[in-house]
Amino acid sequence: MSADPTVKTTPPPVVQVRDMDFCYGTSKALFDINLQVEYHRVTALIGPSGCGKSTLLRCINRMNDRVPSARVTKGEVLVKGKNIHDADVDLTQLRKQVGMVFQKSNPFPKSIYENVAYGLRIHGEKNKNALDEAVERSLTHAALWEELKDRLQANALALSGGQQQRLCIARAIATVPDVLLMDEPCSALDPISTLKIEELMHQLAKEFTVVIVTHNMQQAVRVSDYTAFLHLGKLVEFAPTEELFTNPREKLTEAYLRGTFS
Amino acid sequence: MNSTPTNDNPFAGDSSGIQQRETAARWGLRVGSYIVVLITVAIMLHIFVKGAPVVFRSQWPFVNTQFLTELPATLHVIEDQQGNHIETDVNGADAVKKKLGDHFRAEKTISYSGGGILGPIVGTALLVIVSVGVALFLGVACAIYLSEYAKHGKFLEMVRLAILNLAGVPSVVFGLFGLGAFVLTAPRFVGVPAERSVFAIPLGFTTISFEGWDTCVLSGGFTLAFVILPVIITASEQCLQAVPQGFRETSMALGATRWQTIRYSVLPFATPGILTSSILGIARAAGETAPIMFTAALAFKDKLPWQKDLPPLPADASIFAHWEQSVSRFLGIFTESVQALPYHIYTLAAKIPQNEYAERAQYGSVFVFLVLVASLAASSVLLRKRLRAKYRW
Repeated sequence: MSADPTVKTTPPPVVQVRDMDFCYGTSKALFDINLQVEYHRVTALIGPSGCGKSTLLRCINRMNDRVPSARVTKGEVLVKGKNIHDADVDLTQLRKQVGMVFQKSNPFPKSIYENVAYGLRIHGEKNKNALDEAVERSLTHAALWEELKDRLQANALALSGGQQQRLCIARAIATVPDVLLMDEPCSALDPISTLKIEELMHQLAKEFTVVIVTHNMQQAVRVSDYTAFLHLGKLVEFAPTEELFTNPREKLTEAYLRGTFS
Repeated sequence: MNSTPTNDNPFAGDSSGIQQRETAARWGLRVGSYIVVLITVAIMLHIFVKGAPVVFRSQWPFVNTQFLTELPATLHVIEDQQGNHIETDVNGADAVKKKLGDHFRAEKTISYSGGGILGPIVGTALLVIVSVGVALFLGVACAIYLSEYAKHGKFLEMVRLAILNLAGVPSVVFGLFGLGAFVLTAPRFVGVPAERSVFAIPLGFTTISFEGWDTCVLSGGFTLAFVILPVIITASEQCLQAVPQGFRETSMALGATRWQTIRYSVLPFATPGILTSSILGIARAAGETAPIMFTAALAFKDKLPWQKDLPPLPADASIFAHWEQSVSRFLGIFTESVQALPYHIYTLAAKIPQNEYAERAQYGSVFVFLVLVASLAASSVLLRKRLRAKYRW
């Protein structure tokens, strides 16, 4: 566990999911979810395919709004203490402060610079210096600055898969979000690129709060401070990672970790 | 153990005729394809053989410039005592007759077959510009709405059905629609509404009167726009759908609004495809005859659309007056009726007595028309090839 000594008092959790039910049309996908995400910690969501971990992740920045008929039917989701389904929540502001990195790295077919600057530009930043600064800062955070500083105008699609995914991380953190959601960010990458991103995650947690969905249990052990195990739309167990992996409270968790899942 | 084969070949085919059926199927399909190719080649060759000699010359500049740069005119053919045929225009005919005195056997006049086809070329170009402008605006707007905004459901199904039906409407129906809607009832700004105005809204300084635009480039262009609208909508929607969903998700996840997402991370990548397919729309618009018959086209017109007699300006006219006249001359282009290539071909083929002189004009026009449309299609293919290499993801 990489506890951060600079955090003295415990602030309230940045993300709170309370008694939440979530439906796609008439079929319920998540049941009665309760989850707290602490500031500057990495929280991992694990579970078998189709257990609802991605759906839960996408509830935090309301990306599920894009799916017609998908909606929260019970409970609430609070980010920074505010219910994000309140009528006075501006979706663009929410998503500016809750960034997201997707499973498939998908840089825009534009230059590296334009990719990173995209978020700032759509939020109205026009100052060239501010943009330059943000691009450098974000690429540095994503451990890409040294590699790419001489070819910022090159097309982002010319980068390798691992670089593309790190570019997507840089793009997501350029708007300085409080929370960074990652939906299986390494599932399409080779082991070396995966390692780089995992190393990055420890660094990112110093500045941001990270929530990561992963199907790789070892990855959860390596990167996360807290782990939530989901199964069939229910949150089975949520605990500090070490505790959950060494001494799970629930039989189901234990079975999943041992791989003797039925 | 298998039963012992009767000969050495364990893979011998049976004799159920499956091979014969296979061969028959292959040849049936092949012959069908060959017939299609044959017909295409026959049409092209026929037009080329008959039309190319009209347009091309064996001497410099190798092109019949008269045919491409003059307006259509009545052709006068005078046969002299020696049996020579002298082809000339109306002024030339007088001169020739004066020279020959009474020593000519016969004079024939063939309408529209002399001169060139500049009028129809210009008219078709103007109609295409207006129709593609209108169709692109409406079509792309509709496609964006359908692809990015509309919820899946009854309404969307209805719109799709409407577009499908629009594609199936016979073009002459579009022509009649254009006559009713644009020629006779479309709104325009006038000082005093005409007698036939359906409805007039006085605004004080001017009046919006639903009295139609008359037969003109604007009416014809709008009518053609509706003919090619289904093509443009369908193609644009496909291009928009071809942009990866990930671009939209990422953009939205960065806090972009829906329109920002479309504007910055969908449209730029769909535009090449939309433009490419709209070039095919141009070819279609250029080729339609029925929609412009009642709305824009004239069988004959002795002036180009911008050769309009405007009152001459006084010598001391201000620069503003000159400017104003230029603008009104430019806008006047779109309120003139014009000749158009497809309608000109129809006139030459159906409205005048057929003889060798008319035939020459016919094939020349068809050849030029075909070359124009073919080069549009070719440029669309080239453009697509180049842009595909540039925009890949």
